[in-house]
Amino acid sequence: MSKTTKKTKTKMSAMAKKEERWAWLFIAAPFVGFLLFMAYPICFAVFASMSKWTGINSLIGNFCGLDNYIALFQDEKFWKSLMTTIIYLIGIPIGMILGLLLAMGMNRKIPGVRVLRTMYYVPVVSSLVAISILWAWVYNYDYGLFNSIIKALTGMHGPNWLGDTFWVKVAMIIFMTWKGLGTSIILYLAGLQNIPRNYYEAALMDGANGWQKFKNITLPLVSPVTFYILITSLIGGFQVFVEVSVMVSNGGTDYSAATVVYYLYDKAFSNGQLGYGCAIAVLLAIIVFIITAFNFKFQDKWVKTMD
Amino acid sequence: MKGKVISAMLCASMLATMLAGCSTTTTEEAGESTTGTEAAASSSSTAELKGEGDKEINILIYAQEHEKVVYQQLIDEFTQAHKDEIKTVNFEVTTQDEYATKMTAAMTANDMPDIFYIGPESVRSYVDNGYALALDDYVDQEAVDNLWPAIKSAYMYDGTNIGSGSLYCLPKDLSCFAFAYNKDLFDEAGLEYPDPENPYTYDEFLEVCKALTKDTDGDGEIDQWGVANANAFGFTPYVYGNGGHFLNEDYTKVVIAENDAFKEAFQFYTDLTLTNQVTPSVEQDTALGGYQRWLDGQIGFYACGTWDVAAFMDDATFPYEWDLCGWPVGPSGDGKSTAWLGTVGFAVSADTEYPELCAELIQALSTDLEGQQALCGETTGKSLQIPNIMDYAQTTFKEKVADGTIPYANNVDVIFGYIEGNDTYNGIFTETTYTYNSEWWDIFLEGMPNVLTGNISVEDYCNEVQPKMQEALDNAIELQNSATN
Repeated sequence: MSKTTKKTKTKMSAMAKKEERWAWLFIAAPFVGFLLFMAYPICFAVFASMSKWTGINSLIGNFCGLDNYIALFQDEKFWKSLMTTIIYLIGIPIGMILGLLLAMGMNRKIPGVRVLRTMYYVPVVSSLVAISILWAWVYNYDYGLFNSIIKALTGMHGPNWLGDTFWVKVAMIIFMTWKGLGTSIILYLAGLQNIPRNYYEAALMDGANGWQKFKNITLPLVSPVTFYILITSLIGGFQVFVEVSVMVSNGGTDYSAATVVYYLYDKAFSNGQLGYGCAIAVLLAIIVFIITAFNFKFQDKWVKTMD
Repeated sequence: MKGKVISAMLCASMLATMLAGCSTTTTEEAGESTTGTEAAASSSSTAELKGEGDKEINILIYAQEHEKVVYQQLIDEFTQAHKDEIKTVNFEVTTQDEYATKMTAAMTANDMPDIFYIGPESVRSYVDNGYALALDDYVDQEAVDNLWPAIKSAYMYDGTNIGSGSLYCLPKDLSCFAFAYNKDLFDEAGLEYPDPENPYTYDEFLEVCKALTKDTDGDGEIDQWGVANANAFGFTPYVYGNGGHFLNEDYTKVVIAENDAFKEAFQFYTDLTLTNQVTPSVEQDTALGGYQRWLDGQIGFYACGTWDVAAFMDDATFPYEWDLCGWPVGPSGDGKSTAWLGTVGFAVSADTEYPELCAELIQALSTDLEGQQALCGETTGKSLQIPNIMDYAQTTFKEKVADGTIPYANNVDVIFGYIEGNDTYNGIFTETTYTYNSEWWDIFLEGMPNVLTGNISVEDYCNEVQPKMQEALDNAIELQNSATN
């Protein structure tokens, strides 16, 4: 009896060991992936940010400590591009408000609602390069859609959307809002459909009007979605590059359209200052981390759940 | 059901948009390049050519589609001729934008291609850091002696100075930005064609431009202009033709604020747009660039790179009669019309296992007669460059242009004047050729529209931007002198 038990135990143990090996292998795959594709590049970038590395010269031989960071804090163009990036973020609340309003509209049983949902989602799944080229034409000074409408309505010529230091920012905000609207709508639609109908029915019984229902039921209960959109949009907003690169040449007049990532690319690859580019990347990562952490910290104050 | 059908159609259009986005638009402003090769290929591609030997050669360059076709043919022929030695030739062509990124990755990974491009501005960095092979022992000296002196010296480096010492590249090309004019517009305005022997003075040029600027359809708006300026490549000929410069002689100081000749040329250039209005306005230029307007017959004079000639000779692209002339000459210069020259060269990796074979291959691409005949249009009918081989360029090439075998502008001597230099013409490399990067130059360009719109005067702008340019130049010098591998 004891012999049989022992044999089973040994057999189980071998199986367990085998399972354990597999388990480790499964764990190892993402872990090795993380080490190779995340941890190593991050450590490399942090080290390179402390070097006058050009890609051609010696990385270690040009170690310069915090010189790149000191230069960065005094770099007018860096602050200018960071400010432009922050200005572009104005599009986030605008997009969220429009997204929620449109999602509420599309949450009703109206004819053609599927077509509308698809239309609003088109920009999200389209190539960013393609839609940027399209919008560059929309903004064209002489032949663009916007200026043609302005001229038809007022008889006056519209602004130089992509060539003027002020209007280029307005143009980019409009474009980014339009581009992100589809995602907001879909997420808000899902959030709205999760709100139980009986909440509204109870409110109706209590004599609540439309605004009160929106303010006290809809808005609080879609706040987790709002939080998610806010976080992802902020992170994405700090990484804007393609649209600036495609729609405006050389960062625009006076570098007025350039974002931080555009400046990073410009420094690292157009001007061969890879170490400095890494310093910009590290600083940007820290800024994004702080903003995200801040948002998570204060989410309790305004994010409500149905629990 | 109807809604589903429309949704499906929209999905299909989405897919089409996505696929369209995968392709890159190739509508390039011809002059936005700094050399003839800078208008990039539409996408990165690799061709693998097989032989029966055991040697593998990797090539990484950027090129236009039509250049790629010629190079691929030359490499095919080379592989065939050396099939006993060669196993494969991996010929990778990328866009110019991606080229720097790919090369950086290759250097970081210590996995350099055997053959790659280097511009003259990068020769020092590549050599100092041990990436480029000295070609003296591997290339045919006679062929090297037959290269244009300007492109040969651009790739020579003695460890301290460019222009002497070992040769590190064989030129892909020597390009120049000449000036072209639309003959049809001159005929309509009853103007005499420009004399290639006597380029216009600033004043003469302005008068001709005024005569060419008009409202052709009578709607009250100007729709034809004397000239279209393009800051990135069309400004320097005015400056250099007036004896002005951006930098001092050893390329260590930005001098625009104290260089009167520079400011005089800048003022003339600005006035063409701002006060004389013989160019499209800054706003009109954003709407439709000068190159497109030139192709559309709206412009009297426009810059013409050596790589543009084939396109301008093609009636489908440019259905107008045209010819070459000199850039206008400023009052403070030496009286010579001056254009800028550009080049990029084929280099061989210092780590290659097959230096002899690689050197032979780049000779086939750079100095081989057959290759040059194809690239300059004798055998293809499309001239993409002036031949690198001096003897051939000065004799057969010119004869073939004269007898029409090579479609070219009549005044081809204008280009030769800029390349060879004479009493009337002068060609010089832009000053960015001598600095580690062109950040200082980009800073100048960024605010230039503000001058052309009159928001700031030339004097104030030069004073304001010079310190910023100097800071970028100092940084470039520091990087140029940074520690090597």
